[in-house]
Order: sequence, then C-alpha cells, then structure tokens
Amino acid sequence: MIRGKSKECIAMLLAGGQGSRLKVLTEETAKPAVPFGGKYRIIDFPLSNCVNSGIDTVGIMTQYQPLELNDYIGTGSPWGLDRNFGGVHILPPYAKSKKSEWYKGTANAIYQNINFVDRYDPEYVLVLSGDHIYKMDYEKMLRFHKEKGAECTIAVLDVPIEEASRFGIMNTNADDSIYEFEEKPKQPKSTKASMGVYLFDWKILKEYLIADEKDPDSSNDFGKNVIPALLGDGRKLFAYQFDGYWKDVGTLQSLWEANMDLLDPNVPIELKDKNYKIYARNYAEPPTLISKTAQISNSFVAEGCSIKGSVKNSVISTGCKIAEDAIVINSVIMPDVEIKSGAVVKYAIIGQESIVGMNAKVGEIPEDVTSVKKDICVIGKNTVIGAGETVGQ
Amino acid sequence: MKMTGIIFSNVYDTSLGDLTMKRTVASLPFGGRYRLVDFVLSNMVNSNISSIGLITKYNYQSLMDHLGSGSEWDLSRKNANFYILPPFASGATNVYRGNLEALSNAIQFLQSIKPDYVVLCDTTVICNINYEKALESHVKSGADVTAIASRDLCAYETVDNDLILKKGEDGKAVDLAIGQSLGEDSLAGMGMFIVERKYLLSIINNYVARGRYSFERDFLLTRFADDSVSINVYEFKGPVLRNHSILSYFKNNFRIMDERIREDIFNPKSPIYTKVRDEAPTYYAETSSVSDSVIADGCKICGKLENAVVFRDVTVEEGAKIKNAIIMQGSSIGKGAKIENAIIDKNVTITAGATLIGGSSSPIIVHKGDTI
Repeated sequence: MIRGKSKECIAMLLAGGQGSRLKVLTEETAKPAVPFGGKYRIIDFPLSNCVNSGIDTVGIMTQYQPLELNDYIGTGSPWGLDRNFGGVHILPPYAKSKKSEWYKGTANAIYQNINFVDRYDPEYVLVLSGDHIYKMDYEKMLRFHKEKGAECTIAVLDVPIEEASRFGIMNTNADDSIYEFEEKPKQPKSTKASMGVYLFDWKILKEYLIADEKDPDSSNDFGKNVIPALLGDGRKLFAYQFDGYWKDVGTLQSLWEANMDLLDPNVPIELKDKNYKIYARNYAEPPTLISKTAQISNSFVAEGCSIKGSVKNSVISTGCKIAEDAIVINSVIMPDVEIKSGAVVKYAIIGQESIVGMNAKVGEIPEDVTSVKKDICVIGKNTVIGAGETVGQ
Repeated sequence: MKMTGIIFSNVYDTSLGDLTMKRTVASLPFGGRYRLVDFVLSNMVNSNISSIGLITKYNYQSLMDHLGSGSEWDLSRKNANFYILPPFASGATNVYRGNLEALSNAIQFLQSIKPDYVVLCDTTVICNINYEKALESHVKSGADVTAIASRDLCAYETVDNDLILKKGEDGKAVDLAIGQSLGEDSLAGMGMFIVERKYLLSIINNYVARGRYSFERDFLLTRFADDSVSINVYEFKGPVLRNHSILSYFKNNFRIMDERIREDIFNPKSPIYTKVRDEAPTYYAETSSVSDSVIADGCKICGKLENAVVFRDVTVEEGAKIKNAIIMQGSSIGKGAKIENAIIDKNVTITAGATLIGGSSSPIIVHKGDTI
C-alpha cells in the first residue's frame, strides 16, 4: 500500500544519454553532470525549474557513467528535493525477474519505470531531458495543458527558419493543436521547434508506452515513435509556446556558446534572480581572492578561486587558480583548474581539475569572431598540458 | 574518547560596539561569506564532534536563522546532538555575567550527553584547529584542564581579558595571568579549553552556587594560585585571528588575503562550512578594476575595489571607488561613490556620489539597512 497522497504532476528526467558529441568532457561524466556557468551542472537547470514550478517529485533515469551524477544529486537537498514523500530518485536500469536490459530509448526508459510513476498515482507526467539550459515555469505549461484539454503538450520555441531543419518541428493549427511532427525537415513548414519538454496525461502515456514496447520494430523513442503514434491516432496534442532563453548544450560548440551567452547582456538568461534561483550543490569554498596583478573584465568568477592573471570574456568556475601573467580570453574554465604563469588560453573549454602548464598555449582566436564556426579547443577532465606545450593552434 | 562542544555566542558582545547592536558576536559576518560561529562550528565538525551546545544570551535571532537545523554543518543527523541553548528564564540567573554562569544553563545538556570530555569555545577566535589532537594532549597530560593557546596571538596584541600562560618543560602551565604579559615566551589563551565532563559539572555546581561566574578569573586563576588545579597548555601553531574589538575585527578581515593564512584557515581538508544562499557566480564588468580583494558569490562589480572584503549579493556601480573596506551582504554602492576605511553592514544602500572616509584605525561603520 502506498502511504502519502498522490501527486498531481511528477517529472521524469532523461539523463542516460552518453552525450558523445561532448567528446572528452563526457568520457567519465554523464552529460547532465557536465559543469556549466561557473558553479552549476547542466542538470541544475531542469531540476531548479521543477522546484520553482512546484514539482517536488523527480525521477532521474541514468545509465551512462552515473557515478559523478549520482554523487552530485545525493539526497536532493540542494534543490529542496529531499522530501518525506516524493523528492528526487535516481532510476538506473535494473534486472527484472524475466529479463534485464539497458534503457533502449527515451520511451523505453520511462516504460521500465512505470512502477515508479504509478507509486505517485499522478495525473500528469512531465518528460524532461538533462541537456538544455533554460529557465521555464512548467506550472504555466500545465495550466495550458488543462485549458486546452490536451492529452500531450509539447513545449516549442520559435527558431529562425534557416535553423529549423536542425530541430524537430511542430506544425500547428490556429488553436495551437499539432497536426504534424517532422524530425529535422529539409523544408520546414513552421519554425516551432520542440524543446524536448513533454507533458502527458499519465493514463494515455502509459497506454502508448506499453503498446510501443510490444512493437518489435520500434526504436522506443519519444520523437520517432511515441509522438507519431499519438498523432496517428488523432490524440489531442498541443504546442506550448515558450518565449525565454533555451539552448541545447549537446555539442562542444553550443556548450561554449551558452556559457558566453551568460556574459552577453542582450541574451535573456539571468542567473542572478532572487525570485527564480538556479540551485546547485555547494561545496565549502572560501570567497575568491583577487590579487594586485589581476585584471578581470566582462567575466563570471565563482567562489574558491585565486585570480592573479588576466581574465576577459570568460567563465571561471569554482576553485580555479589563475597565476600571474596567465591570460584567459573567451574561455570556459571548469572547476578546480589550474592555469600556471605565462599560459595563454583562448577560445577554449578546459575540463575539471586540469592543469595548463607554464607558458603553455591553448586555443586561438578565430579569424572571424562574429560567427565562431571554428571548433573551440577543448581539454578534457584531469588533463595536464605540460609547460610550454601548444594545443589547438 | 568522544568530545562534546560548548560554544559561547555572546561573551564579547560589548567590545564590538555597533557591530553587535542587533546580533551576537557569533553571528557577526566575517571574511566575505562567513559568520564567526562558522569557524568554531566547522572546527568541531571536522574534529568529529557531533554533540554541540551553543549557549546564547540575547539578540540570537540572526544566529538561529543562520544555523537552522545545522544541516550545512552536517549536524542535522539522527546521531548528532546540536542544541541552541537560550537562557533558561525561570532559573536563578536570567542574564549571564560570565561563561561559568552561562554554563549553568547548559547543565541539563551536559548531563544528558554521553561523551567524557567537553571542549569550551568562544566565537571570537578564527583558526583551523583539530580538537582531537588537543584532546589527545589533554588525556596524555593527565591535567585537570587544557588551555589551548597561541604564541602568535600573544606577539600580535593582547587585551585586558586575555588569559596569558607560561608553559613549563612538561607542557603544564607554570605561570598564569589575565591581561598582563608574562614576558618573553608567553602564550595567549584562545578562549578554548578542554575538561572532563564530570569535572566541569562539579565546577559549575560549586562555583555558580557561590556567586562566581568566570571560568578563567574565578576558577582557573584562583585555583592555580592555590595550586589545586593542573593546567596543560596545548600550543596551537597555526594562524589565529582574534576579533575582540572593532579595530581587530576590521584588520583581521584583510588578513585572510595573506596567502599563508588563507591556505591554513581555508584548508580544503577541513573546510569551513556556512549557510548556503544559492547565489550566482560574481560578474565583473568591463569597467571593473579589482585588486587585493576577497569577493563572494552573487555580486556585480562595475567599479573599483582595492583591499576590500565583499560579501554575497553586493552591487558596486560604475565609477564607485572602494578602498580598505568591508561590504556586507546585500549592500549596494551607487555610481561614483567613494568609500575608504569603512565597515558597511548588511543591506546598506550608498547612493550615487556619496563619500564616506574613515580613519585607518577608526573605520566608519554604517549600520544594517541604512541609506547614505
């Protein structure tokens, strides 16, 4: 018997992807646990969104390199998700009596956790992914879902038409109902791109997940199978328009760009907002020490750093040491990195706990800085760049 | 061999003047993101002490707010005993005159717990100390009381109420004074003592009943004169910052920029915990110029800072110039304002163009919530 009242809406967060496009950064780390914005991990954004939207039960489905992520989530107390009933739960794939298998796809991951969802007897289930940076009040989306009498609501974002072919595009009627879904269309009919945020009536979703699992040809994916099946059956699908900042940080380039966006006053992502905090696990670090020789301009610097060198247009994460005469330009420095004296880091991402040796050079300024299509130079976690070495030039 | 910690939150309230008008010494902000109590509490937690009583007298709301359930110090556990001990109003003494009298309000706590030893601490002293090592020394010495003391502190400055000790060959105190130097080789007490719990209970019962209230003056000094107490001196060799006056508090805030002091006090193996506020990282604008400063999270810096200690969520507008100043949490400094030798308390607004210049040994204090 379940003790505790049922929940109206719970969230299921897909965090099992390998994130192979983040290359060296995800060799030992699940993508949602990749550091972002100086003191956050990517997963802090969907988790904080849940909390700020009044959702207190979140299942996190993990399977790839879960150690760091599990450790980071812990009891969920940094997000206020250590609840007596509900709260945050890590859901790895597990062995069942008849068979055991990994999560085969996004839909299968939730299918395998039907018992978890049923325990809370929710009316609605929100399906999220752990690789997007955005601040969104899901409560408004839920209100929209109820008003429209929808069975499935998909959050969409207006993208420039020339970029639309990179996204899953929703083609809608005047009342926002969806009549067609096209994955990466060559000739997009609309600019409403799916944000990977789905809200379902649990009864309907459960039915379709069970049916999808029975289909041996299905790849058990929301975008490829479940949504088309719902559309094919004439179910009520609606597109919920989101106007704020949203960015998929699934590639090194976009991860770097999203960090740079924080420094751009024209980009509407504000981390310093008393009414909408992004929560993160905090470590006991002293405030940052900035020495006489330091020069910092247009940059974010988290706590626990010691800055003696020059930092420009960069994001410096918790616990970094930047020595005298070191130069950091347009770069993302992840936690606990040491950049030694005379080293120059330009247009780069330096992974956690790495060391850039004396007078080493990492990355270079692209020829055309207005459209950085050139690869950003990336150094993986725990890497040592020897003194005087040159990387990415 | 487990220890209990007792923390006195109010002992030096009066000597810190305006800064403790609306708070206890324990909740006085320090070093960019801490309250004084964080250091003592973290030291205890890092020394595996999980039963802690914090004695308060008055003005303890801000302290309660800061400490909450103690979870940030990992004290909100089933097998931890973390108690805030406010005055026991119906007792014989309502307001304590000294630490012994304060302890009489903690008698029930001291009787109810299991550990054999008690470490007593003030909150004015900042250091990173392992009390387990001090306890080892106490037990080995066989003394009645261990006083934790520092040579450095003695050389730096002493004040009226400092306990000054002289150590003999065997590590026991051979001379003892209050507020008076004992010449070269003397050590200053750090306001930290270790005693056996049962022995402490007997001292409290005996002395408070006879109207004695100071542990140092009434108990240690008189018993030492009678030769009826043996005192082990545990010398702590790390850096010690003691905040017993506005001036020492002001100076100590800047001393944490000294690399040796910073590395020792903020040793990552024994971290100093504090309340988490979930602030964003600090943003430094193109117009900012910062040198020799300690800056916490959640700030927006557009002006010039030189030798400043800046707490969380502070805004410094363009053209503002700040030198030798402490700016506490939530304050904002307007465009072109000029501040020198000042302590700006919490949530203060300094309007554009204002000038505040204090003396280097008499900093200006702007009270909590004021607008200048």
